[in-house]
Formats: sequence, C-alpha cells, structure tokens
Amino acid sequence: MKEELVLDTLVDKVMAELERKLGREKTEDVAEGEDSEQEEERIAVPQPKWREGLRELLASTPARIGVWRAGTRPLTKEVLRFRRDHAAAVDAVYGEVSQSILDEFQLFAVETCFQNTENYLKRPDMGRIITDEGVSVIKQKCKQRPQVQIVVSDGLSANAIDANLRDVFPALLDSLRAYGLQWGTPFFVRGGRVACMDHIGEILQPDVFVLLIGERPGLVSAQSMSAYMCYRPRKGTVESQRTVISNIHKGGTPPIEAGAHIGTVLKKMLEQKASGVQLAI
Amino acid sequence: MEEQWITSVGIDLGTSTTKFIVSRLRLARMSSHFSLPRYQIVERELIYASAIYSTPLKTGDEIDVDRVSRILSEEYKRAGLTLSEVKSGAVIITGETATKKNAQEIVHFLAERSGDFVVATAGADLEGVLAGKGSGAEARSRNIQGVIANIDVGGGTANTALFQRGKAIGTVTFHIGGRLVRLDQAGVIHYVAPAIQPWLRERGFRIVPGQQVSFSLLQEIARQLSRCMLSYLAGKEQGAAGLLLLGRPLAEVPAIDEVMISGGIGQLIGEPAPTNLDETATYGDFGPLLAHALAQESRHCPFRVVPAVQTVRATVIGAGMQSTEISGSTVHIDASLLPLRNVPVLKLEVGGRQLTAAAVKAEIGQMMELGRRLFDATVSPPFALAITGMGYCSYAELQLLADELAAQFAEAFPDSSIMAVICENDMAKALGQSLTIRCQHRPRVICIDQVRVEYGDYIDLGEPIAGTLIPVVIKTLAFHEAGVEGIQ
Repeated sequence: MKEELVLDTLVDKVMAELERKLGREKTEDVAEGEDSEQEEERIAVPQPKWREGLRELLASTPARIGVWRAGTRPLTKEVLRFRRDHAAAVDAVYGEVSQSILDEFQLFAVETCFQNTENYLKRPDMGRIITDEGVSVIKQKCKQRPQVQIVVSDGLSANAIDANLRDVFPALLDSLRAYGLQWGTPFFVRGGRVACMDHIGEILQPDVFVLLIGERPGLVSAQSMSAYMCYRPRKGTVESQRTVISNIHKGGTPPIEAGAHIGTVLKKMLEQKASGVQLAI
Repeated sequence: MEEQWITSVGIDLGTSTTKFIVSRLRLARMSSHFSLPRYQIVERELIYASAIYSTPLKTGDEIDVDRVSRILSEEYKRAGLTLSEVKSGAVIITGETATKKNAQEIVHFLAERSGDFVVATAGADLEGVLAGKGSGAEARSRNIQGVIANIDVGGGTANTALFQRGKAIGTVTFHIGGRLVRLDQAGVIHYVAPAIQPWLRERGFRIVPGQQVSFSLLQEIARQLSRCMLSYLAGKEQGAAGLLLLGRPLAEVPAIDEVMISGGIGQLIGEPAPTNLDETATYGDFGPLLAHALAQESRHCPFRVVPAVQTVRATVIGAGMQSTEISGSTVHIDASLLPLRNVPVLKLEVGGRQLTAAAVKAEIGQMMELGRRLFDATVSPPFALAITGMGYCSYAELQLLADELAAQFAEAFPDSSIMAVICENDMAKALGQSLTIRCQHRPRVICIDQVRVEYGDYIDLGEPIAGTLIPVVIKTLAFHEAGVEGIQ
C-alpha cells in the first residue's frame, strides 16, 4: 500500500525537484479542487480545440494518448511516467509475494522446479512441475478429490497477488458458498506457470480447478491477475480446455466481481462436465 | 449466448392521435472471452409501424378503453405478434390525454395486456426525452459538439428535451400544440383549450367558441406562440413564455446549437403552408398554421434548424425502441421475483474516499428512514436502492456495505420480502452474494449493476434474458430537483 503511494507520486516528486533545480516556478494553478485537478491532469494538451471530446477519448482508454509534446519529443513528465511504469513491470516479475498475505489466508507454499527467476523466464516447462518435496507436502496437507481446488501462484507478477488476493479470494469463497460448492485445501505455488494445475490435478484429482495467478505485467498495470479454471485438469490437458477471466486489477476487471463470477463459471463446468472452448456460458 | 434479439413495442396515446410500433433490439456480447461477460444493445430496428389513429374518446374527458384495445389487438395481429413474444417496451399517455379521467387506469390496463414486460409511463419530461430519442436528436447529439434541442409538438403540448453528447441534459414543456385551437373551414372557433387562455388574455387576443375569426388573427396567434417558445429557448425573454410553461422551467437555458422539430406539427412543416382558413382547417384545427409559423420564426433564431428523422411517430418510436436498457451481465437475480414494475429509486451516494463504518451506517440509516417515510413498508420491494459515487470497492468495503444494508433493511422493513439494489459500478454479483449470505432469503435479494438511476426515477426490472441479465426501463420523471411524486 505504501509502496503504491510512493510509486504514484514519484513522477510528481521528480518533476518538482527538476523544476526547483532549473529555478522555474510552477505555472499551473494548484488552488483547484483535488478532483478536477486529477481529471485535468490527464489533459496535457494546452489548448484543446474540443476539451469535452478529448476527455471522452481519454476516458475510453488507459493508453498513453493526448500526452502532448515538446517539439517532436514527449514531455519529460511523460517519459518519466513511462519509465516508472516499465520499472514497475520489471519489479513485479522479480518480486516475491509477501508472507503476511499467505498467512492471512492460511496458504502454505510449495515450489515448482523453476529454481530462480532467470531460469523461470527461460524455461516455462519447469514452472509446470511441482518439486518432489512439494508433491509430498501437498499429499500430506491437502484434502483428496475435492470438488473445487483453489491454488494461488505468483506467476509473472508477485505484485498482482499482493494487490488483489485480499479482494478476490474471500469473494471467491463467498461465491462458492452461494452455489453450495465444496472446496479443498487452498495453497500457494511459488514459480508457477498456468499448466502447473495439470500436475496438481494428477495429485489431488479435483473436479474443477481455479488457479489465481499473476499475469505478465504490462505498461498499464503491473498488478494484473488471472483466474484460470479447468474441469478435471490432468496430464495432457490442452490450453483450449482452460477458461480464463483475465485483467483482474483495480483498473480492469473488478476483483470482487471477478471472485463472485468464478463460482458461476465453476458451477457451469460441473454441470456441463467441460471447460474452455467446450463450455457454454 | 453470443447474441439475441428481443421484441419491444411502443404505444403512444396522444392528445389527438394514437400510434403503435414494433421494434427489435439486438443484444450482443461486447467483451472478449477473457473478461467478465458484458452485453449491450447494439442495434435497434423498427419492424412495424401502425397507421395513425385518432385517439378514441368516449366523452370529452374519458378515453374509450374498448376501442383502444380493439385497435391494439388488430394491430398485434397485423404485425404478426403474440403477446408472449414481447419482452419490453412502453405505453405512454401524452399531452392532454394524460389529464383525462381514466388515463392512469388505462395505461396500466394496457401495460399489463401488451406483453410480458411493457411498462406504463407518463409525464411530460419523460415524454420529451423519448421523443428526442425517437426523432433522432439524441443520436445526432453524439455526432456534434454542442447542444441539440428536440421540440416535439403534438396536439396539446410541445415537449422539449435538450441533448448533449448522447445525454439528456434538460427538459421543458410548453402549452403549444395543434389542437389547442379548433375551428371549421368557415373560421368559426369550436374550442380553445383552457391551458392557453391565460396567455391569450395577457396578449390581448379574445377568441371564444362560436366566434368567427380571420386568417390573419389566427396566423398572428400562431406566430406569437412560436416566438414565445423559441425566444425562451434562445435564452432571451424568459418571462414571455411564463404562461405557456407546463411544469417547471429549465434551471438554466444552455446555449442551443441545433433544433429539431418532431411530432405531428413537425410533419406538417413538410407540407404546403396554408394560405386561407379553408386550407388551415384541414384537420379541424390551427395545426398547419402553427407548423409554418414555427418554421418561419425559427429562421430568426440563433440556432440551426435540422430536419427530424422521425416526426409524427417520434414519441412512440422512442418509447418502443429507445426506452429499454440492459443491466450488467454479472448480476444477482431471482427469476421468480421478476418482473418488478414501477419501483421508486432512492439513492445512496457513497463518497469516493475510503469508507468508514460509522459513515456507512449513518448514511444507510438516513436512507432507510427516508424510505420508511415515503413508501409503504409492506410492499416488496418498497424501493430500489441505488448505490452511486463509489470508486474502487474492496472486499472489506463490500462487507461493510452488506452488513449495514442487510441489518438495517431487515429492521426498517421487516414485512418486505424483496430487497432491490442497483449499483452503478460492476459489483452486483459480489454484493448480491454477500447480501444473500446475510439475509438467508428473508428478504430475497435482487442486485443489478451498470445502470444509472437518479433519485425520483422509477425503474422496471424485466425477466432475465438467457438467465444472465435483465432488461430495465428507467422512467426519469424530472430533471429538476423533484420530490418523489410522479406516477402511480
């Protein structure tokens, strides 16, 4: 939470510092109300021909449009923002999920054969296999043959789990309760790829599986999470058999609503005994 | 479900004419398969328009219910439509007809007999907005930068709605219509509507039934009526239109760039101008004169006059084709409780900042108290609770809301068996589930989202489409700070 605040104000702080060093005074009027300031802030075009139209365009996308320029180049502020977002994306890949959030939801951790992040990036196949040690921990701690198996994994963004699990996870449990579905023992997989659910499926034999996993970070958000769902994932399951709700983060698919909808999807999978492209939603 | 068509009808009982249309609306999935499902109405198609009937009246102040239903059953047959196919739509009683003795009775009678989900509506503000949507003004407002006014002039009233970038931003209604003054070809006055008599007196016009008037006198009346309204809309002479205003004036008249004239009078503009009393009284009233006076006077105004796409059928098309919206697709519904008609809306404005337990408790408490004061506590649901102004909603905040809503609703409305909640943001499924866990089906919960409503609106919730979403019709009664009065 604190980190987030620092990140969001980083560009402003750097800009303020630059302006101070260059001995320039801020020309913008800061006396405006906070809300309008926030909205106006995105309109970098100094004198738009049609302010309302520009505002509509900006509201329609998180992409970097209407950012204005100095000569043929982007503004310093915009370049800093871009680099900040890029740095956040890199950080998300190399970050680790905080222990406190795993404790909060009583998730024990196992690892895949990924070894380290460098190797994880180069060898996706190794992120799909749980270590022998992990397998025995899972066998020892988990309920066998559950109706629903929930697994959380950092994937390519540990940050996504830190940012969204508190909202998605309990909403997901509520939706399972609402549909009267029984879930097994949830746990956390470090260094997981989507298809690690196949290996876990072999071990625990669940009817349906939901994997909450950090997505490859982008420049819009480094905190985006996906929920991959599958009916009876086993060795040999192909990608077209998986169903996904992606882009779960504050500015995308609302986390609580995603959690609430997962129950509906799992229920349909159980009814139709299918998932992925074969599932009719 | 990838896409689906639903049938929607519109029925308009106007001051002078009654019309009926059938349209179909295409729902399509707008979201990718990797996102939560999201559907929208992507196409609205008119498939049948009835002839224009004279509104059947029994006596001067009573609508002939039998004849209206006979017309409709014939029209349904002609359109090849059975009642069960109709999933949405609106019946609207407009203009002076709405003041007839049995107007309310008939509108509900028709709504219940026109299909599974056809709602009863009335009110000058809503009428103006529907006409503006039907005439094409709303669609045009999306393509221009400024404000467009649609003036729908019928037999009894001129309903004006202002649109900007696809949004209705205001309405105002005038006592101006073709049948306010009726006469025969000899120029003998048969009727002068009481609504314009104060204005006529103030202007020094003295016309009474039985009196023979000259063409030039009538023309002058039509001209001055038009001028009064247009100069009001142009932002000058606010006072002059005072006696012609029906209901409240606009809080502020914005700069209007374009004007469309729809309604029966809008259609008459396209016909040759009358040059004598004989040609004026084609329909037994001064409508043709009024139409051309309006066209002429509007040339001296600061706005551009653009032709309406639909004129005489604008309101009925608006009611039939444009009144239906659909909810978000991840919602919490219980098909056995639907449809729900005419549910009044109370708004819970949840501040954009972090929610505190005390603030949520106090605000929900205030709203429940207001609900108890305004509505019958035994009705299910007594009102629909609209949650707006919420930014990002965390699970902790969701729990806070659900706790307070469930507890306080049960306390304030112990006899009500349904709680209806409408969220502005995409959160209805999560909130609905949280509420259901707490309420244990007493009351049962309907929670929908991605619908914008205002305090004072009435909403109709239709039967689920493909089990996942519902059609809704929002009846906006006023753009003014209206109390909860309106239709019942």
